[in-house]
Amino acid sequence: MAQIAKSEEVLFAREQETDEYTEPLSEISTEKYLIFSSDSLMYGIRAEQVKDIITDYTITYLPRVPNYVRGVINLRGQIIPVVDIRLRLGKPEHDNFCGIVVDVDGNMVGILVDMVEQMVDVPLDAILPVPTSTSQAMVSGMCTLPDGNTMLELDCELLLHD
Amino acid sequence: MGSGNDSILDMYLYETNTLLEQLDGILLAAEQADTFSEDSVNEIFRIMHTIKGSSAMMEFSSLMTVAHRIEDLFFLVREKGMDVVPEQTRPDLFDMLFQAVDFFRGEIEKVENDEPLSQSIDHIVNKINSLIDKIQGNPTSEEPAEAESAPASETAAPAVGAVNQDYLFGIHVFFDEGSGMENLRAFMLINSVKDYCADFITHPTNVETDPSTSDIIADQGFLVWFRTSEERDNAIHAMNGAGSVREYQPVDAAKTSPAPEAPPAASETKPASPAPAKESPKADAAPAPAAKPAAAPAAGQQHAKESLISVNLSKLDQLMAVVSEIVITESMVTSSPDLKGLRLDNFTKSARDLRKLTDDLQDVSMSLRMVPVSGTFQKMNRIVRDMSKKLGKKAKLTLIGEDTEVDKTIVDSIGDPIMHIVRNSMDHGLEENEADRIAAGKDPVGEVILSARHTGSEVIIEIKDDGQGVDTQAVLNKAIRQGLAAPDHDYSQKEILNFLMMPGFSTNTEVTEYSGRGVGMDVVKKNVADVGGTVSISSEWGKGMTTTLKIPLTMAIMDGMEVSVGESMFTIPINSIHSSLKVSAKDVIHDPAQGEMVKIRDNFYPIIRAKELFCMEQGCDNIEDGILMWVEAGEHSYCLFVDELIGEHQIVVKPLPNYVNGFGVKNFGITGCSILGDGSISIILDVINVYTAAHNIF
Repeated sequence: MAQIAKSEEVLFAREQETDEYTEPLSEISTEKYLIFSSDSLMYGIRAEQVKDIITDYTITYLPRVPNYVRGVINLRGQIIPVVDIRLRLGKPEHDNFCGIVVDVDGNMVGILVDMVEQMVDVPLDAILPVPTSTSQAMVSGMCTLPDGNTMLELDCELLLHD
Repeated sequence: MGSGNDSILDMYLYETNTLLEQLDGILLAAEQADTFSEDSVNEIFRIMHTIKGSSAMMEFSSLMTVAHRIEDLFFLVREKGMDVVPEQTRPDLFDMLFQAVDFFRGEIEKVENDEPLSQSIDHIVNKINSLIDKIQGNPTSEEPAEAESAPASETAAPAVGAVNQDYLFGIHVFFDEGSGMENLRAFMLINSVKDYCADFITHPTNVETDPSTSDIIADQGFLVWFRTSEERDNAIHAMNGAGSVREYQPVDAAKTSPAPEAPPAASETKPASPAPAKESPKADAAPAPAAKPAAAPAAGQQHAKESLISVNLSKLDQLMAVVSEIVITESMVTSSPDLKGLRLDNFTKSARDLRKLTDDLQDVSMSLRMVPVSGTFQKMNRIVRDMSKKLGKKAKLTLIGEDTEVDKTIVDSIGDPIMHIVRNSMDHGLEENEADRIAAGKDPVGEVILSARHTGSEVIIEIKDDGQGVDTQAVLNKAIRQGLAAPDHDYSQKEILNFLMMPGFSTNTEVTEYSGRGVGMDVVKKNVADVGGTVSISSEWGKGMTTTLKIPLTMAIMDGMEVSVGESMFTIPINSIHSSLKVSAKDVIHDPAQGEMVKIRDNFYPIIRAKELFCMEQGCDNIEDGILMWVEAGEHSYCLFVDELIGEHQIVVKPLPNYVNGFGVKNFGITGCSILGDGSISIILDVINVYTAAHNIF
């Protein structure tokens, strides 16, 4: 616990304060996360999985698939399915179209979100397990961000395969 | 095998398979002529030599040994001419060679599947050995060799007198000329001989310590003496495996006078003079095609080795994908809405040039994947030969249009279906007895004709036999017995023949080695359907049967009709479309189950509404606003109701993403998609699955 408390302090430290933390910093490995919002929740995806951020693409309707698969798009000649994360999580539909293309085990999938927020460095040990397993599906961890919001780490594989 | 040298292994497999195919062709032609031409002997020798060498490199010792023995055998034939093989042993020779080819094939297959190679090669090696003995038995016994050797005996007879009276059975070994360090090679040979026999002496002795023996060995050869001839025979195996051995010859020292030693020496000098024994392939390459009458059209392609490279198919796929992107992007650029209304003379001209170049590029990249069907066709020669021997039916195979080119993936997948149909023709098609054929006024030798030809975007492959044809009554009876047909229904000839392609249907009551297991034409049909083709059978009782495969040239590009439903675009393959028609509401007939039908030319066809099948929000509901596409695939024919007909396009088929396929959209007739000129996506429909899906839902 002490360790985590300390790393949080590092996270919130102002620039002039960071110096005193340089020592522990070198031991903490961080990971870049892309933060996006969907239905007023903040989600994070590991940046290395993110291949592209797309706006304003025409989605081609694909029949006979679950409603959260909105269709396919043509991304530079590649056919990529698009999943609406709101519908996937059983939330009401929304019209904003901002997509993140992620690579999950070699499969490229677009995820429709409300808004792409920012990139952050998150210390790996700052990510805490989700206390309840059922309440937030497809979230594999959570973490408090410098601005005070809580980031939910999205498990892309769960998103694709139940 | 899992040594990580995959590319070397790939090369090996590719090369060996090519050689075996070539060998098969030569053998079949030779068997017909009942002799080997000089060229084909050279060719076989070269093939065996290559297989031996590359197998040794890959450490497939069984393959190497067999290839080596056959090489030895053909060395003899090459030296002494085909006459050395007596007439009565020729069938044995051909059978042995075919067996050997099968053995190689089997082993190569094992290598491909990463299975252990078989160790028991004795039966085949023994066969070869006995043949060699038979062939050698003649000339070495008495006159011919002696006669030849007499003049030569002076020139090169080395001192091969026995060193020790206890060791009278020798082997006289010559190493490759100029191989160098002969003494060490001899020492290595001694070591390998020790594996077979411990008790022997050598001349010169001390080879490993005395480098000066090297010259003696190079000059006079190396002698190994054994106590008994059995021991010597065993040790000969060591010679086979040893490196750099040019020539070896058993010598008997019992007769100690120099004269009898001449024959071995003489026969050694002879091969030395036409030295390029192993370098011969290049020299042979030119005349060889003439030696293969059966493969005449294919010969050019097989022998132009130097101008061919083998490329991984996945690279060609990649190229194809990139090229089709370029084609699409090009049309997106040139027809960009931003250019509307502008007068750009130079741009238009350059765009036109670009258009032409991209078209060329597409053609070339397409042609890369095209290979002639001759490879597949040639294999059937072998099957017809084997079956006609086994079944005792005389038959010949005629190939027509074997240089027809088809996409590589398609060639690979039609091999098995064609083989199956050819077997069927041989087994059930041709009459059991020659007398029956003569009575029917036919040539006693049955004929199976295998032909291929292009028609636009399709390849048509016909397998035709002049046998007894299909007994439709027997087929119908059997279909009724198996519950496939209703007893009190009138079936047309075509419908009855279609029963042949039902799963589990086989007219043959007995299970033979070749057919009759009940897995038959239905598998053929499925395999062909997998590459987008269709199978049809026609037959006339007493006149034979024709099986026709219609196969698209390539799976990657096809002609499609673009139709729209609401805002969505769908592509229907052109070759499954009969016609399109507009109907008025009163033409539509309703059945009690809310199904709709329409009558076209005395037949009723169900109507499937794409909008309902695909649960779409937009699109026409009124049958008079839209258009009916009358489509047909397999035995299903129906009308698909869509909004509008957009036009015909050549499209590049792209598979759907795995994630989407996971939802089973294939079962609803959605097989893939393609990107249209404006960058939008059109969904490709599979006519058969649309029908089954509609049937299951409604």
